[in-house]
Amino acid sequence: MKKLLALIMVCMLLLAACSSGSSNGTESEKGSADANEITVWAWDPNFNIKALELAKEAYASENPDLKVNIIENAQDDIVQKLNTSLSSGTTKGLPNIVLIEDYRAKSFLQAYPDMFHPLTGSFETKDFVQYKVEATSVDGENYGLPFDTGATGLYVRTDYLAEAGYTVEDLQNIDWKEYIEIGKKVKEATGKRLLTYDPNDLGILRTMIQSAGKWYVKEDGTTIDLANNEALKLSFKIYKELVDNDLMNFHSDWNEFLATFNGGEVATVTTGNWITPSIKAEASQSGKWAVVPHPSLPGMESVNASNLGGASWYVLDVPGKENAVDFLTKTFGSNVDLYQKFVTEIGAIGTYIPAAEGEAYKTKDEFFGGQSIVSDFSKWAEEIPQVNYGMHTYAIEDILVVAMQNYLAGQDLDKVLKEAQQQAETQIK
Amino acid sequence: MRIKPERFRHNSLFSKMFLITVLIIVTISSLITWTTFRMSEQFFIDRFSFNNSKVMEQIKESLGTFHYSIVIASNNLMNNGTIKGFLSGTHSNRMLGTYYYNVKKQMDNIKTSVEAYDVEIVIYGMNGVSFAVPERPSWAKSDKVLQNHFITKNTLKHPKKLLFHLEHTKDQTQGGMIVASKAFMEPTSKYIYGTMYFTIQERDFRKFYNSYTSLGNDVLVMNQSGTILSSNRTELIGNKEVELLDYAVQLEKQEKKYMNADFKGTDHLIMIEYLPTFDLYLVNLIDKKAAFENIIDKKSIVLICLLFIFLAIIIVFFASRKVTNSLSNLVKQIENTPKNEFDRYIPETGTYETRQIGQAFNSMLDELHEYVNTLVLTQKQKRNAELAVLQQQINPHFLYNTLTSIKFMVQQGGKEEAVEMVNALISLLQNTIGNISETITVKQEIDNLKSYALINQKRYGERIRVNYFIEPECNCIQIPKLILQPFIENSFFHGFNQKRGGTINVLVWKEGETLICEVLDNGDGMEVSADNKLPHTNRKRERFSGIGVRNVDERIRLIYGEAYGVTISSKIGEGTKVRISLPFGQNEK
Repeated sequence: MKKLLALIMVCMLLLAACSSGSSNGTESEKGSADANEITVWAWDPNFNIKALELAKEAYASENPDLKVNIIENAQDDIVQKLNTSLSSGTTKGLPNIVLIEDYRAKSFLQAYPDMFHPLTGSFETKDFVQYKVEATSVDGENYGLPFDTGATGLYVRTDYLAEAGYTVEDLQNIDWKEYIEIGKKVKEATGKRLLTYDPNDLGILRTMIQSAGKWYVKEDGTTIDLANNEALKLSFKIYKELVDNDLMNFHSDWNEFLATFNGGEVATVTTGNWITPSIKAEASQSGKWAVVPHPSLPGMESVNASNLGGASWYVLDVPGKENAVDFLTKTFGSNVDLYQKFVTEIGAIGTYIPAAEGEAYKTKDEFFGGQSIVSDFSKWAEEIPQVNYGMHTYAIEDILVVAMQNYLAGQDLDKVLKEAQQQAETQIK
Repeated sequence: MRIKPERFRHNSLFSKMFLITVLIIVTISSLITWTTFRMSEQFFIDRFSFNNSKVMEQIKESLGTFHYSIVIASNNLMNNGTIKGFLSGTHSNRMLGTYYYNVKKQMDNIKTSVEAYDVEIVIYGMNGVSFAVPERPSWAKSDKVLQNHFITKNTLKHPKKLLFHLEHTKDQTQGGMIVASKAFMEPTSKYIYGTMYFTIQERDFRKFYNSYTSLGNDVLVMNQSGTILSSNRTELIGNKEVELLDYAVQLEKQEKKYMNADFKGTDHLIMIEYLPTFDLYLVNLIDKKAAFENIIDKKSIVLICLLFIFLAIIIVFFASRKVTNSLSNLVKQIENTPKNEFDRYIPETGTYETRQIGQAFNSMLDELHEYVNTLVLTQKQKRNAELAVLQQQINPHFLYNTLTSIKFMVQQGGKEEAVEMVNALISLLQNTIGNISETITVKQEIDNLKSYALINQKRYGERIRVNYFIEPECNCIQIPKLILQPFIENSFFHGFNQKRGGTINVLVWKEGETLICEVLDNGDGMEVSADNKLPHTNRKRERFSGIGVRNVDERIRLIYGEAYGVTISSKIGEGTKVRISLPFGQNEK
């Protein structure tokens, strides 16, 4: 009988061991997730995600034990998730590293400073272009590790310019006034409009005012600066001039935008350097393009360089942040070779200054008539004036879209901007 | 090899019992398991069809909500003046810029009704302009594609209807898209000025039902031509399943909720609902095998059953062995009892029943012993009584022969002799008939012998002489009556038939604890049979009492046991020797 009892006991123990075994398994898995895994969120599989894959590859030789999970989400989803979690005061379910667009970064950093892990001192800020460092810092504390530059340039069709009697040299370091004059001639000669823009996107205004070191807000990042912003006023005027002279082609979405310049409908494209792959997508136009410095604002302190877009890496204050910082600083923060790969494999231009000395940066691009556009762009990136993007770039721009339409419809500029200022002040408080 | 059947024979009860129990356990467990499987399967089918009809209702409802929001959006688009202006007539670049701005405003507004879903709205005018919020879907990359697309053509063919299409790109990463389309039509003049497209990713459309699906429980959305627009089984999307279309028609005809049918070679439970607003079929496929096999973990149930059967068998094995062991032990011992002359008792152990049987058996043995003992005793007593009776009988021939002798003596004037003979007769009768006790002393027996010898000598002459040699200490030893007399008598009448005369010597002495009496004659002698017994004689008339030579030995053995008795040795022509051994002292048995 004793033997029987023992047998039954053994069976029960076995059953118990089985069921408890499984729960043990999951617990240990969780533990290891904290220790040797980090998660990164980013958007755009052809750009940011590819860059992360390269960085992960490069980091594997540094620390093969760390598992890097790269998760792709749409930018809007990332913004929504961050907002939802951070405003609820929790970091549960958030990644270790997240990519945030520079225009939006401040809205997170200023609203939830405790949720982010400061990177001050963990990388050499001197090695990065200054406007980018400014965009990723709050109160002297660095929160983001700068990634790609949105340095703008003026992509021009040399064949159209030639028809109007211009060479690339004539377009070096011009201002918007000169640019419009050239545009008029080109239109006369070729019938092509100068540039194309989406009336619902005022990116062109942003590049104009940043070239003069101005923004929709003052340097403190909060004071709305519309009504008395001379740079903005001038930008509005230039925009209207472009429209009035029918130099501005309109498109309604991204696909139309690409179709317009790939189809040779416009003579120039003025936007961030990230458009390069799209321009090169139309192989038949090889050799017909060149890139010149971005036009400056005439009659005021303005440089021939500006920025449109760009994003940076941020570390959230969640377990595993040390690993995350280590991953970032050893890849995006210091690896020159990695930046060469970004250029050759993705066409991404970083803001890490030492990288510009690399071979890939100096490569001549036959599509652009043998121009070393990467090295040009990184040179211009260093000249981009620092501005404080503040927290409300897109909210203010929504107001300005309306203001622009009113202005184009014939309303007085000062009145339009004053109304926009008032509206912004009431909305953003 | 001979041991095994032997063991088996003793355990046959156990083997039978154990085998039967195991058989029953296994049969019952298998039956119960099988029944459980069948019942639970039936139960699940019932549950599934019930639950899934509810689920279908819910899916229908959420699809209805989705459909309604698209209808609202399409109506708003249709009634919007800005959009109508945008889509009809030709515009300059400048106007287009303003339109893009204004249309976006309107569209953003209209989009709010489908905000809950990831829907991309595209409007496309007959004048070649288009606008999309929030983004252009990948299937309509350019206006040219849009213009020549089968969806556009279809829509223009049925301008009044909201049509649902599947745009199934070959690119696997993109997945399919569900496109609802409708024409912009002037209500009065029937003038068509454009088309609108509501695009939802198939994987987003799947969300309406995906949470209700599981392995083997699939949902499909199928159009009137049998093309699968959406399904959680992505490999089916875009396929034409005429089979399912048939079932849909059948179900509609029979007005049944569900049916059992074959789909792609496996047994399915199929529910089909027609969605009138979509003009689509909602199909729920339940793969019986996959769905139910997954729910009932047959393997673990069988394993658990086997484990319990195994445990039960072990318990039965030990328990029945314990029960039958005591019984088979009992049987073994009972079998051995005859070998041990019925005097070994069996142990009373084991269960109540076997203890009782053991007790009964033991008390039976007791009674048997008692009965046999009584029987032996009565037999003895009976024989004793018989012998005693014989001993009391004085042969009347002896008496009247003796008396006749005395009469002749008296007639011849031998007065002295006659008296002597009468005295001897008196003494003899006194010791035999008068004395009622069974035993007498040696001295009395010798006196009897003397009296008897005297009578015989008087009757037949003095040619046989008798001598007595008695150890004095033996004189008062008690011995059975008339044990020496028959041998003297025998010698007198048979020992001297050839010889004219002789001597008979009677010797009594003690040898250890044994009293030895010997009657020796030097007469004719005789053939002694192997058992030392005297030959039977018919001369009863000559006898003194009922006791014959043959009875003596029997009587001694009866009284004193087998260690004592009579031995006879004889040689023809030399004489006969009779030796009687008796216990010294009164140790009668």
